[in-house]
Parts: sequence; C-alpha cells; structure tokens
Amino acid sequence: MISLRGVSLVYPNGVRALDNISLEIGKGDFVFLVGHSGTGKSSLLRLLYREATSTAGEIVVDGIRVDRLRRNRVPALRRHLGVVFQDFKLLTDKTVWENVAFAMQVTGAHTRDVMRQVPRVLDLVGLSHKSRMYPNELSGGEQQRAAIARALVNNPKILLCDEPTGNLDPVNTTEITALLQRINLKGTTVVVATHNQAVVDRMRRRVVRLEDGRITTDEERGYYYLGLGQGQVLSV
Amino acid sequence: MDSGKVKFFLSEVLRNFSRNTGMQVTAIGTVAITIVLLGLFLFVRAALADAGNRLLDQIEISAYLRPDATPAQAAAIGDFLAKDPRIASAQFVPKKQGLAELRTRTRGAIDTELLTENPLPDKFRIKVRQPEQVDPVAATVRRLTGVDNVVYGQKIVQRLLALGGVLRRVGIGLILAFVGVASIIISNTIRLTVFARRREIAIMQLVGATNTYIRLPFICEGLLDGLIGALVALALLAGARAALWPRLLEALPWVQLRAMPVDARVLAAQLILTGVAIGVLASWISVGRYLRT
Repeated sequence: MISLRGVSLVYPNGVRALDNISLEIGKGDFVFLVGHSGTGKSSLLRLLYREATSTAGEIVVDGIRVDRLRRNRVPALRRHLGVVFQDFKLLTDKTVWENVAFAMQVTGAHTRDVMRQVPRVLDLVGLSHKSRMYPNELSGGEQQRAAIARALVNNPKILLCDEPTGNLDPVNTTEITALLQRINLKGTTVVVATHNQAVVDRMRRRVVRLEDGRITTDEERGYYYLGLGQGQVLSV
Repeated sequence: MDSGKVKFFLSEVLRNFSRNTGMQVTAIGTVAITIVLLGLFLFVRAALADAGNRLLDQIEISAYLRPDATPAQAAAIGDFLAKDPRIASAQFVPKKQGLAELRTRTRGAIDTELLTENPLPDKFRIKVRQPEQVDPVAATVRRLTGVDNVVYGQKIVQRLLALGGVLRRVGIGLILAFVGVASIIISNTIRLTVFARRREIAIMQLVGATNTYIRLPFICEGLLDGLIGALVALALLAGARAALWPRLLEALPWVQLRAMPVDARVLAAQLILTGVAIGVLASWISVGRYLRT
C-alpha cells in the first residue's frame, strides 16, 4: 500500500530531514512512527500526501508514484488519503456536518453521496448528535473526531495521522486511539506519527523509530522506548 | 443538474463575499472610480469628436475654374468628380448663380448692381464623405485641367484632424493606466481575501480539491466586485450627466454639442464589461500566484 525506497528529503535551506529511508507498509497495517521532535516523522507523512517532494528515492502510495506525480495529479492522490493533524484544522465558521461535507463538496461529489456518506462517518466517530455544533463548542477530543470523520468521508484506503493526540488529555487520547483502531479493523491502512508513549505502549502495534532522519528500528509489536518489552512495560 | 452542488457553490461565494466587507468595499470603490473616469473620458471624447465631425461635415471644397475654361472642360471635371468614390456630392455653380448666392449671403451689403461685369468664376461645390478626405480630394481636384484654384478651410480641417489624433492616443494611454491601477488594487484586495482564507484553501488542497475548483469562488468574487463597481459607476455617471450636461450645453452654445453624443447602451455595456474584466483578471492573477507557491 505504501512503499518507500531510498527516499531522502533535503529542504531548500539545506536541512536534511530524511536520509535514505526505505519502508514497506502493507494493506490494512497499523504503523506508529515514533521519535523525538524534528526527527522527520512529519516530513515522512508530508511526502506521502505530497505536501513535500522527495529529493531522492521512489515513493509509491496506493499504486501511485508520488515522487514523480505531476502537480495537477496531486488532488487525485489526496482523494485516496485521509490526513489528520494535531491542531484538527477544522473550519471554525462551519458546523461539524458542514466541515465533514466540505471535504466531499470541494471535490465535486454528488449531493446524493454527500447526504449518504456524511451521516455514516459521523456515526462511525460518534458525533451524530453534535453534527450541528461549531468546532469551538466541542471538546478537543470531539474536534479531533470531527477531523477524523472529515478525513474518512471520501473513503480513503489510507489514513495518515500527524500527532493526532498531541493536544488531547489522556481520556480523549484513549478514545481517539480506540477510534483509530476501529477504523483500522475496517481495513483502512493507518499510519500514526506520535510521541505519546502511552498510546504506543498500550496498542503494541508495529513501531518504526526515526532518529535524525533515518529509520533506526522497525518492530512488529514494539514499544515507544527501544529496549523495553519482554514484559518490562513502562508504567503508564 | 445537481442543485445541491450549485447551492453549495453559491453559498460559499456569498459567504466569502459578505465576510470581508471592508475589502470588498475597497475593491468595488476602486472599480467604480476607474469606471467613472473611463466613462467620463469616453463621453467627453465622443462629444468632442462629434462636435469636430459636425464642423468637418460642413466644410466644402470650392474648386474655381479658370476664366478661360471651356464648357467641355467643365463637363469633363464634373464627370471626373462624379466618379470619385470619396466625393459625396459635386455641384456645378455657374458664375451667374454664384453672384446671386453672394447677393443673398451678404444681404445687400455689397451692391452687386454696381458691378459692370460678373467677377466670379464658375465653380464646383464639392462635399466629401469622410472629413479625412478633404485634404487629398482638394489636392486631386487642384491638378485637374481647367481648375484655377481650390479653396476650403485647410487650417480648420488640419487642426481638427490633429486634435482627434491626439485625443485618441492620449485616451488609449489614460485608459490603459486606469485599468492597470485598478487591476493592481483589486488584485491586492483579493490577495488579502485569499490570505484571510488560507486555512480553508489549505484544507481544500488537503482533501484533494483541484486548483480550478479552489480558484473559482475567488474569480466569482472578483467578477462581483467588478460588476457592482461598474454599476455604481454607471449610476454616478448617469446622475452627473443628467445634472450637469444641460448646463454645459447652455454654457457653451458655440460648441456644437449634442445632448447625447454616444449610444448610452453601448457605453454602459463597454463600461460593465471593462469592470468585470478588471475584477476577473485581477483575482485570477492573485489567486494563481498564491496557489503556485
């Protein structure tokens, strides 16, 4: 589903954000990207939805050669992807319903499909009863659920999350994590960049660790900190 | 047709349009001022050109024949003039008729009875179709055998034609300057509204909206700015004309001004189209610049 081979990203100011990254993520996988701030987690995600363009290497997302994608084909790529951010990026002057519908409407979706799809994803994230509220009338967790609903409304095969719980308290973090897991169980490939140790350690999913723009470890059922495991769970 | 889609699109345009009222007012005001100046200029130019043309229309060429010209020569000249496509009419005026006309025109101030013989030569009175052709036609006629002298208001013709040329050149320059300044101001205004909506644009790009789709509401916004600005300008111009033009006609009776030197509908259409074009062009450029970066 996602494949990177020898991918490097050097920003115009000379900063080497990613250095010779190779990574395979299969269909339906759930993957954590962990590492300190500035180690290239966000940069890696940005490459996948073509917010940044790699300076070397080959990137394939859902069969699309992202590194060679022409600018006018980028919208087509993004319709295959859902992206969720730490700061939710909801439009404050639109209701939850409108925010979610917006993602379909601006891609020219038929109203009939909007009317069918929006209630479905709002139900999935558990926000049906708050669909008429505005983002600033919601808690952080609810806002993030609205953002996830928006990311899912176009039925993407891949959901990319950049610090989805970064702004949330532990209770909301747990809820969002459970939601992501549920989405993954429905067959969506989920990639989560995080430095929330509790989330990673509780889920025990695949953990890809980045340090200074390189992948240092890639464990099938990993912990946030390297060397933990074999029963030595760090207290949460 | 998906009416929900149309409704969504229109509500987005209206929402954006009503949200940045201050900026919209700036843009509309700029268009309005530009269009008022443009309209004023076009109107005055048309009025002056019209007055000039009427003066030119009255100009006729008098081709006096040599005293010894034979009737055959006169007939040949008449035939030649009749065939020239530039000439609207050529009338032969025999010396007797010339004297009679002189008598009526001077209303007896000159006592023609005192003349022992008619001092006037035969002549042709020539009118041309286009004012610009007065000079060349006069030159042609002057070379014809039997023609002694050609008289017409050379200086007036040349000055009017020169004035017309200057007006046209200055006018095109001014119009380009107006439109340029207005486009810059509007594109800056639109750039501010683009900036104010950068979150929305970022989300649209994130979920895979095409650039054309993102651009469209801004283009519509520019179009609305241009259209409303042009309509405001038209109202101002119509009011000004109704209030001032009759007084101007009264104040300048010697200038042959017509009540309405241009077709108002044509002028209105031109001005509205210009306003809309400015708005669309300016927004197209400023959004395009934003989306490329």
